[in-house]
Amino acid sequence: MDLYAFFFYFFAVLTVGSAFVVVFSRNIIYSAFALMFTFFGVAALYVLLYADFVAVTQLLVYVGGILVLIIFGVMLTTKVFSVEMKTGTLNLLPATLFTAIIAGMLIFVFSATDWNVVPDQEWDTTVYGIGALLVNEFILPMQVAGVLLLVAMIGAVMMAARDWTKLKSK
Amino acid sequence: MKTDYTPDTSKSKIYEALIDQYTSIESDDPLGSDMVLNFGPQHPATHGVLRLLLRLDGERIIGCVPEVGYLHRGYEKLAENMTYHEYIPHTDRLDYLSPLANNMAYALAVERLAGIEVPPRAQYIRTICSELARISSHLMATGSMAMDVGALTVLLWTFREREKLYDIFEVLTGARFTTSYSRIGGVAQDLTADVEKMIHEFLDYLPEAIHECERLLNRNRIFVERCDGIGIINGDDAIAYGLTGPNLRGSGVGRDLRRDRPYFVYPELDFDVITHEGGDSLARYYVRLDEMYESVKIVRQCLDKIPEGEIHANKPKKVLPRKERVYTRMEEMIHDFMLVNFGIDPPAGEVYSAVENPKGELGFYIQSKGGGVPWRLKIRSPSFVNIHALPHMLKGVMVSDVVAVIGSLDPVMGEADK
Amino acid sequence: MIETLLIAFIKIVIVLLVLLTAVAYSVYAERRISAFIQDRLGPNRVGPFGLLQPIADVVKLVFKEAIVPRNANKPLHDLAPVISLTVALATFAVIPFGNTITLFGEEVKLIIADVNIGVLYILAFSSISVYGIALAGWSSNNKYSLMGSLRSSAQMVSYELSLGLAVVGVIMVTGSLRLDQVVMNQTNYLFGVLPAWNCFVQPIGFITFVVAAFAETNRQPFDLPEAEPELVGGFHTEYTGLKFGLFFLAEYAHMIVASAIITTLYLGGWHLPYIDMIDVSPMLMSIIGILTFVIKVTLVLLFMIVIRWTIPRFRYDQLMGLGWKVMFPMALLNIFITGLILLLLQ
Repeated sequence: MDLYAFFFYFFAVLTVGSAFVVVFSRNIIYSAFALMFTFFGVAALYVLLYADFVAVTQLLVYVGGILVLIIFGVMLTTKVFSVEMKTGTLNLLPATLFTAIIAGMLIFVFSATDWNVVPDQEWDTTVYGIGALLVNEFILPMQVAGVLLLVAMIGAVMMAARDWTKLKSK
Repeated sequence: MKTDYTPDTSKSKIYEALIDQYTSIESDDPLGSDMVLNFGPQHPATHGVLRLLLRLDGERIIGCVPEVGYLHRGYEKLAENMTYHEYIPHTDRLDYLSPLANNMAYALAVERLAGIEVPPRAQYIRTICSELARISSHLMATGSMAMDVGALTVLLWTFREREKLYDIFEVLTGARFTTSYSRIGGVAQDLTADVEKMIHEFLDYLPEAIHECERLLNRNRIFVERCDGIGIINGDDAIAYGLTGPNLRGSGVGRDLRRDRPYFVYPELDFDVITHEGGDSLARYYVRLDEMYESVKIVRQCLDKIPEGEIHANKPKKVLPRKERVYTRMEEMIHDFMLVNFGIDPPAGEVYSAVENPKGELGFYIQSKGGGVPWRLKIRSPSFVNIHALPHMLKGVMVSDVVAVIGSLDPVMGEADK
Repeated sequence: MIETLLIAFIKIVIVLLVLLTAVAYSVYAERRISAFIQDRLGPNRVGPFGLLQPIADVVKLVFKEAIVPRNANKPLHDLAPVISLTVALATFAVIPFGNTITLFGEEVKLIIADVNIGVLYILAFSSISVYGIALAGWSSNNKYSLMGSLRSSAQMVSYELSLGLAVVGVIMVTGSLRLDQVVMNQTNYLFGVLPAWNCFVQPIGFITFVVAAFAETNRQPFDLPEAEPELVGGFHTEYTGLKFGLFFLAEYAHMIVASAIITTLYLGGWHLPYIDMIDVSPMLMSIIGILTFVIKVTLVLLFMIVIRWTIPRFRYDQLMGLGWKVMFPMALLNIFITGLILLLLQ
């Protein structure tokens, strides 16, 4: 087993293992933190695939942004420890069926697809290529996504904002 | 929509007060995201042991209940068991940032009760002491307010100036902190030429030192924005709450007992009563700064005008004699024995005497039935009254502003809790 | 292969040792400088000029009892300071502290991890540093701590935007995400005289970045998460002993790393201007480079310390207002202007 394979399996196990903790932990805080390790593992896998930009973006966006929000949402929920997570005893049969179908579909797709295998080689940095594509070919999708996020943010602010002037007059 | 509220007996009484008072606000909050924060008594910014129970929505304050009494030592009751002289050291421990001014205020009250006329030199010395105490207290107030909003350096700088003042106190009174300098009918020791020189040097130097601190704060946008428009109380409300001192004058009400109900030698002196409009923390801060300059002016005039003469009233039955005379003369020894053991024996009656202390109106209400001890002594302490305005001032501000408002109110818990 | 790993390992050990010592002495420097500003003496008892004070401090912290509040979440309570310090130290991996040095016939690059996305790495790690504080605040089960960590995360998330956008200007000028490339790009001269440091090329971006870096390191005037008069100790109210010490070290490590980043991105990194006009041996050149870097970082660090003891602290809403209404548009404006100028120069 060479070094590459060692690191691949190490991070693969980390990713899948922490994902299991996310699903099965009864403490929702621990779930949230296990998710952090899942994200880290995925980022490491990206690095192994020479996708350095995607890897760091994964850290920046998921670990640094989204997960912080999730964790704070969880932390600020009152009575964190007493939240009972239903671990499937209620909907055991439908859940199993559904999971099995999805798993089957994924395995089928994996095996049936004619994967485009690239020769093993040292790759240059991907940043330049991604940047060029984003501002040339995919400029419209990027802008649309940006506007969509902006709209979502304004909506969130509108919902969260409260009128403090009302309080002061009391 | 008003939600039903059932009292929870497991909660303390102060907590109940908070809930009841703001039930209507709670109904706006279906998610229950309010938080009750216990602010003090062990907290770095509550100037001692003030305790506030804050009801927060996020960082915003929607309710506040101050609780005092953590430093209660029963000073009003203690007074009933000690002679008028014995009580003087206790006045040091009321507003422990300006003990000299408290000493003078108490002595003045007892003299008014007993009808003692204090000789002019002692009057001047008392005025000087009161004003120096005001400078020392305001230096501390300015520094700690700056520290509360995060400018630590200013505190150390004002502390440095205050130390110089304490050096003067040490030479003048024999103690740096708990001075106990006043005597009924005068002051303990005379103001020597040395002290006069020290005070002159200090006065020459102080405006520059204050200006140095001003340069650090007055045009600092962070400081000004932290204090501007925070803890607003308008003039009418301030009067209704009974605010006094710089806090009242910061709301634009020009009441100053030194001018309005003169005592000591203030009528003979030329000084301005500082007022600032605005009623916010910044206005109160400016009032204190400017009052220090006024105090410098007052002390200068006093030092120019101070006459030679006695520092004790000539009333052997009321005023403690000098120690060296007690040891050498029969008459004085008898008086000393009688005064120390049985007190000054003022006539039956009552007096309310108030002075303009650094923190506001410090009043002593003394009821005498004759005899050596007061029948009842009530202290009207400015800090206690000022703290009552806190809930009004804190409504709707943020947690960070709590310290800016407390700092600008400048309460001293030794005085508030008595 | 083994050789590369060995060199990397040696570099890590040396940098870590130097960094931790620097952290300890920056605490000492802060205390002495604050004492000077405040007309006090500061620590001067332990060793000559109190120079051994950091050691005494560490020894004291090690021997303190580690108290964990009864209702705290112990695993997370223990984990939080570790995350804080690790993240702070890990960021240093991509910072070039010199050009190259030739030792025993081997040319060694003076950077631990020579990655081609160095700038993004820094941003990613600065966004992770939120976790240490957030965890500490929540796991302590203390309202003051929780408010401290809430403030901190809101502050860091807000200022990360300006931080990232300010760096975009530098990336546009450099045309690369490599930090050594950023430094190399600053070794030129503007109009033949002025060193082409990015603080001259990107003045708006520089100011934005420095302010955002202050906010990211929780330094005065942005030290709301631990604002003593308001929140007692903020997120570390419930920490004692070595765990508190780790937070303390992490804070100063963050400062040093932030200074190093500012130096690298905006102040020409290890490059000493005009040195290339005189003829010096390559070995001496390398050493001068390292020294230049250290001196620049120290100066930025001193600037941070002096700021702390001079001005008051922001209020929470003012901080957010500054972040979103001033810094954010300024950073965007900077990108726009930079783009425009680059387009015109083409």
